[in-house]
Amino acid sequence: MSTALLARKDFEDAIRSRMIWAVMGVFVFLMGIIAVGAATDNLSDTEPTEVIGVVANIGGLLLIPILALLVGYMAVVGERQSGSLRVLFGLSHSRWDVFAGKLLSRLAVIAVASIVACLVAIVIALALFDDVPLQTFLGFSALTILLGMAFTAIAVGVSAMASSRMQAMGGAIGSYVVFTLVWHPAVTAVHYLVEGELPGLEAPEWYFFLLQLNPLEAYRAVSSELADQFIWPMLGWQTMIEDVPEETMENPNALLVSNRVSGDLPFYLSDWFAAVVLLCWIVIPLAIGYWRFERADLN
Amino acid sequence: MAAIETTGLTKRYGEETALEALELTVEAGEVFGFLGPNGAGKTTTIDLLLDFIRPTEGTATVLGYDTHEETDAVRDRVGILPDGFDLWERSSGTRHLEFALDSKGGTESPDALLERVGLDLADAERPVGDYSKGMKQRLAMAMALVGDPELLVLDEPSSGLDPHGIRTFQEIIREEAADGTTVFFSSHILGQVAAVCDRVGILDGGELVTVDTIAGLRERSGVGSSLVVDVAGEPSVDHTELVDIDGVSEVTAEKNGRLRVTYADPAAKAHAIHRLVESGTPIVDFDIEEATLEDLFSAFTGVEAESVREEKAVDDSTVPQRTAADGGLAGESASAGSVSVDEEVGR
Repeated sequence: MSTALLARKDFEDAIRSRMIWAVMGVFVFLMGIIAVGAATDNLSDTEPTEVIGVVANIGGLLLIPILALLVGYMAVVGERQSGSLRVLFGLSHSRWDVFAGKLLSRLAVIAVASIVACLVAIVIALALFDDVPLQTFLGFSALTILLGMAFTAIAVGVSAMASSRMQAMGGAIGSYVVFTLVWHPAVTAVHYLVEGELPGLEAPEWYFFLLQLNPLEAYRAVSSELADQFIWPMLGWQTMIEDVPEETMENPNALLVSNRVSGDLPFYLSDWFAAVVLLCWIVIPLAIGYWRFERADLN
Repeated sequence: MAAIETTGLTKRYGEETALEALELTVEAGEVFGFLGPNGAGKTTTIDLLLDFIRPTEGTATVLGYDTHEETDAVRDRVGILPDGFDLWERSSGTRHLEFALDSKGGTESPDALLERVGLDLADAERPVGDYSKGMKQRLAMAMALVGDPELLVLDEPSSGLDPHGIRTFQEIIREEAADGTTVFFSSHILGQVAAVCDRVGILDGGELVTVDTIAGLRERSGVGSSLVVDVAGEPSVDHTELVDIDGVSEVTAEKNGRLRVTYADPAAKAHAIHRLVESGTPIVDFDIEEATLEDLFSAFTGVEAESVREEKAVDDSTVPQRTAADGGLAGESASAGSVSVDEEVGR
């Protein structure tokens, strides 16, 4: 009851934020430009699922995570820093109520944003192609929503742990930096230490497993499978630090994980396991965040 | 049952002690003043009572409930006006009140609450981001009153309020007290505490220095009020005689023919005047200086009171003497040498 009340109130406040609408506006605008550009091309040998590649890249790997971090990082620490947390407690809400209420509200905001992003993808696909595999698009939508939830959970968890706005901001920015800039080189370094060489086009399964523990990588790998094309990450580490042949630049589909391991994909590289990874990125940051928040001195 | 009871309540941050072994009992139904300079540990105490922070040692109960184990029961029964808070800028005042009513299951009418704290009904429709500090304070007070709490915790309630707002709040405190609500009033402004409180606890440097009624504090501190008599020429009286009058504690001759008669019993001053007249001393003028609360405070905390008094003596010709009797307004308009112990910077 108390949680729902707080969630509703917070949602009301959050959707009045111009920042959220600005980011959504930028996304829809970018997608619009791309769609118009694509519509003027000859689409005869293009698959409708290629729309997924574009949306996953701009929306899923960039805008959704950043929007989620922006929406979430002040959720708890903002109330703590401004002192309004005392007002909430005074109105007989508990720490759990505040944490859960804030989380639900911010999750709802990101769910709405993710759904809008996916609707844009579906509308574009329907406008440009006659025969759209809706099921694939719905699967991609679910995955994108899950990714948004994971980044919201990371941000809210960080927010609950932080004692100041700067700490929370550092944690939010830091997490995105780690996922996009640090993770892949670090795993490649592990490969180098274990195998004595940089990973080539064919690499051991554990290498991809470690890569896909990164929520962005998990999302990208599954999106790639759904779109049936290789989706580039924000930074193309594959060509920068991995020892893959030059020709793959012309045919990036060779970089699909299913083409890089010998034999069938093990379960931990399957689509559903990526969903498990994303779920873990929802549950673990929240658990740590609440555990710390519950024990913190809130002054 | 005590409204608030603490046992050995201690809070340390690393080496620093914010509150040291606080033993405090606030009886149900009383208006308790919690007095001390900024940084004395008042807000730390309140934070501990409401489980915002956890004690290093000791325990506390509020309305009979353990502050940590039974936080929900405590918060359901307490209304709090915190110090230094922000509200939700994009929501209107009315929306804030509705949220408070929903949260506490209160049945009050929002308009009646607004009227009580003196917030304009039209202003209540505006987003709180446009409010002045005083308006936010009034709104927060209205939110604290929601659900008719058994205990009202007010932390520096007058910050940002104009004198009219301070009077409104004092009126509310008296009404609530008459209704049986316990009020815990924390402030660094002595006059305001004196204006409404039954008992006062003085906190300094994390330690509770004393707890008593204002009258009791006055008596125990030995700080009396004084009668200042201007006589023509040098005081000719052997003023030690005045000391014999019942209730007079000290007589000193000051320069410029001034005689200062300090007394604990107000009835003594008429006797003193009478004796002076009888002895043929030419009295030019006389004035009464009430012992101010800062004198009391100094007496208990060891803060140097003399400096305060001297500055005041300079001002005497132009500034009316401020006393507790003016309803604590002195505190708000306080300038150097006046009531504020540690001037709150207007925020």
